[in-house]
Amino acid sequence: MSTQPGSGRRPGAGALALLVGAVLMWGAAVSLQAYRERHYPLPPAASDVLYFRAGSAAPRLALGFDAILADIYWIRAIQHFGGTKRAAGGDKSYRLLFPLLDLTTTLDSHFTVAYRFGAIFLSESYPAGPGRTDQAIALLERGLAADPKRWQYAQDAGFVHYWWLHDYKTAAAWFDRASRIEGAPWWLRSMAATTLAEGGDRRSSRHLWQQLYETSDDEWVRNNAQLKLSQLQALDQIDALAALVRRYTQQFGRRPGSWGVLVSMRWLIGVPLDPSGTPFELDPAQEGGVGLSKQSPLSPIPPQFTQKTGPTS
Amino acid sequence: MGRVIGLVAYHVFKESVRDKVLYNLVLFAVLLIAASYILGQLTAGQDIKIIKDLGLAASAVFGLFIAVFIGVGLVWKEVDKRSVYNLLVKPLRRREFIIGKFLGLALTLLVNIAVMAVALYAVLALMNWLEPGFGKASVEAPVLDPQLLKAFGLLYVQLLVVTSVALFFSTFSGPMLSAGFTFGLYIVGHFNADLAHFENVVKSPAAAWLGKALYYILPNLAPFDVKAAVVHGQAVSAGYVALTAAYGVLYASAMLTLAILIFARRDFK
Amino acid sequence: MLALETENLTKDYAVGFWRSRPYRALDRLSLRVETTEVYGFLGPNGAGKTTTLKLLTELIYPTSGRISILGRPPGDPEVRRRVGYLPEAPYFYDYLSAEELLTYFAGLFGLRGQIRRTRVATLLDKVGIAGERRLPLRKFSKGMLQRVGLAQALLNEPEVVFLDEPMSGLDPLGRRDVRSLILDLRDRGCTVFFSSHILSDAEALCSRVGIIVSGQLVTSGRLSEILAFEVAGWELVMADLDPSTLTAFGDSVRRVTRISDGRYMIELAPDNEPERIVGRLRAQGGCFVSLNPVRTTLEDYFVQQVTARQAAPPAGRVMPEG
Repeated sequence: MSTQPGSGRRPGAGALALLVGAVLMWGAAVSLQAYRERHYPLPPAASDVLYFRAGSAAPRLALGFDAILADIYWIRAIQHFGGTKRAAGGDKSYRLLFPLLDLTTTLDSHFTVAYRFGAIFLSESYPAGPGRTDQAIALLERGLAADPKRWQYAQDAGFVHYWWLHDYKTAAAWFDRASRIEGAPWWLRSMAATTLAEGGDRRSSRHLWQQLYETSDDEWVRNNAQLKLSQLQALDQIDALAALVRRYTQQFGRRPGSWGVLVSMRWLIGVPLDPSGTPFELDPAQEGGVGLSKQSPLSPIPPQFTQKTGPTS
Repeated sequence: MGRVIGLVAYHVFKESVRDKVLYNLVLFAVLLIAASYILGQLTAGQDIKIIKDLGLAASAVFGLFIAVFIGVGLVWKEVDKRSVYNLLVKPLRRREFIIGKFLGLALTLLVNIAVMAVALYAVLALMNWLEPGFGKASVEAPVLDPQLLKAFGLLYVQLLVVTSVALFFSTFSGPMLSAGFTFGLYIVGHFNADLAHFENVVKSPAAAWLGKALYYILPNLAPFDVKAAVVHGQAVSAGYVALTAAYGVLYASAMLTLAILIFARRDFK
Repeated sequence: MLALETENLTKDYAVGFWRSRPYRALDRLSLRVETTEVYGFLGPNGAGKTTTLKLLTELIYPTSGRISILGRPPGDPEVRRRVGYLPEAPYFYDYLSAEELLTYFAGLFGLRGQIRRTRVATLLDKVGIAGERRLPLRKFSKGMLQRVGLAQALLNEPEVVFLDEPMSGLDPLGRRDVRSLILDLRDRGCTVFFSSHILSDAEALCSRVGIIVSGQLVTSGRLSEILAFEVAGWELVMADLDPSTLTAFGDSVRRVTRISDGRYMIELAPDNEPERIVGRLRAQGGCFVSLNPVRTTLEDYFVQQVTARQAAPPAGRVMPEG
């Protein structure tokens, strides 16, 4: 038996009053929160507290949801990395990158892309990364312990030694180890031999970065590899242009004043552009007299490219 | 006997349909679609992996809630409201009542899990169709991986174990306490493996022995969780699936038998 | 064959935190019910009526004693097929309609198809809720639920029916319907065993009654045997009477009560010929309205038995505290 709704106006007015009261209280709460945040902000450390740093306890506590938790921490790792990289100035220590990647791979020890991401970006030096090759190697070693068949980790470890540490002996040993793993591509064997015999060279470097570009489906890694490949290509172009400048200098006894001179001599078709489309510069300060424009997105060329390297022995 | 059990089971299913339990599927579908859209914007890589992880994890959570919250009321509600009096006076054995209730919830769960599996495959297919580059060589498992069914299958058997525990508590304890115990056992079930090697952690051999005994008595739920393996494309052998499923079925049967034992000799005051 | 027989049926409950104090809900109940009888099981609240019915339907188990229904133990599947039960204040399932509930239960009896449909429809009609057949049970009032309860008790066309307070929750119309239903069942050869504390129903329906007080059966037998049908007096109603004329009858007139102007109710002592008094009063100008014998009613007997028992509880039965 339901009671009839009130015949008079009063019940309706009562409900309206309650509604208005609720909205007012909610509004007051929101303003109070805004005021509090302005005058008593939470300490900044709270915003990057990781909920647990417990190592092997983490998968247990996850109660079967470790994979999805690993995904969450992976996303946070990416956000931390991207946020730090894009910020103009500020703390570029990337100090949470390793802990977050560590947690991700502890929760999910088969999280391939996390290992490979860590290998590259933990090794990158300021301002592109924290420059912690030790952390990168530690991560890759854990990956190999979980997945001994994954030759990519061994290849990446070799690459870290090759590119950032210039330790060609260890790099060659890693490439060799990788080549022995079932399913590894044939060129790793020759890479091991070449590295051992000749140390670092541009062709090997290009090959390794090309491999990284093709086998990674992480956009950060691919873009980074693409950048390196473009820089390598630019170096090749610089070498060719430097040869032209040398020839001109030998022929005319002085350096060319501008590209236009070479163009008018039909030595060049047009103003030479680097792979990003920015013109090269005739810079007497640079070795060979040719260099990348400061405005080019490919600049600056990392020192690893320009170092002369020799045989390992 | 089968006919009578079937009638009881059918009505459990009917009740969950009319109680709109299956609406959780709508929430599930919304969750998956929203997540896949957002992930596409994040460009963190491994979108497929994350979608699969999310789909499987959400299925596990929703399934768990259904198993516990309906399970703890299966017997209790009828006894508390005394509607059980009418049933037990009919040509229906008490054990048929218990089995029928269990099978009814098992049916509800089956429908739920099946729909969630289909929804996950649909979302994966949609993502694959929108961006065919997903199935790249570096991804460890195919986008529409039939192995996912193994994860769903073992999840279902795990939920049957949880259901049997909830129903067991339901025969003598109220819903609050039963839900607490059942969730507790679910959690312990995931830590179970630690108990087996208790001797590494404690000094007293009696405690280690107790740990080992508990390991066997309490449900060992961690092996049912092959979600991570399946998503990473690691092989989950048919033998493993069969044995784990058989363990689950046997354990659930044991719980059901205990429930029948308690229920059969009960006075309904 | 006896429809129902119990022999020293006893039920103790363990009460108290350590379960050390047994509470005897039923003490050595022995009764017999013949087939096609209507047996009224009467007693005050808490006497043990519902306990007995639950023992008979094996919802609870006896501490000691024997039960035999149609010659078999109560849990026997054959018994379940031939017996119907209406629990006290029945509750069903909120999510089903009356029709769906009966269909469900009929299915448990093995009824199928057209037979089931017909049976369900007939019963819904019989108990008077055919109009509400599709309504979900959660919308049913207490009286309507009682009717559904009756319907489900009769689905299998039982030979013995146990009804726990069948009149509860029903209005006078409903009570009349149930009474005629019970009589109808009896006429069809069904044995009806019902518990009640409404004595007028028992008087109207039962061939035999049993009275239970504090767990013990104090009386069981034919109604006519229990109540001495001796006349304890007469009630005479006369109109147009002058009360002063009654003094002439002396001790024969016990009490006079004025109903209205000129109309009086006269209680007469037991007398073989009350017509004599009527005749004389009429000769004096009085108008005869009615003459009724006063017999001991079941209620009188009931109250007498109950107060006697409750004043001195039987030894061995410990009352629960609180």
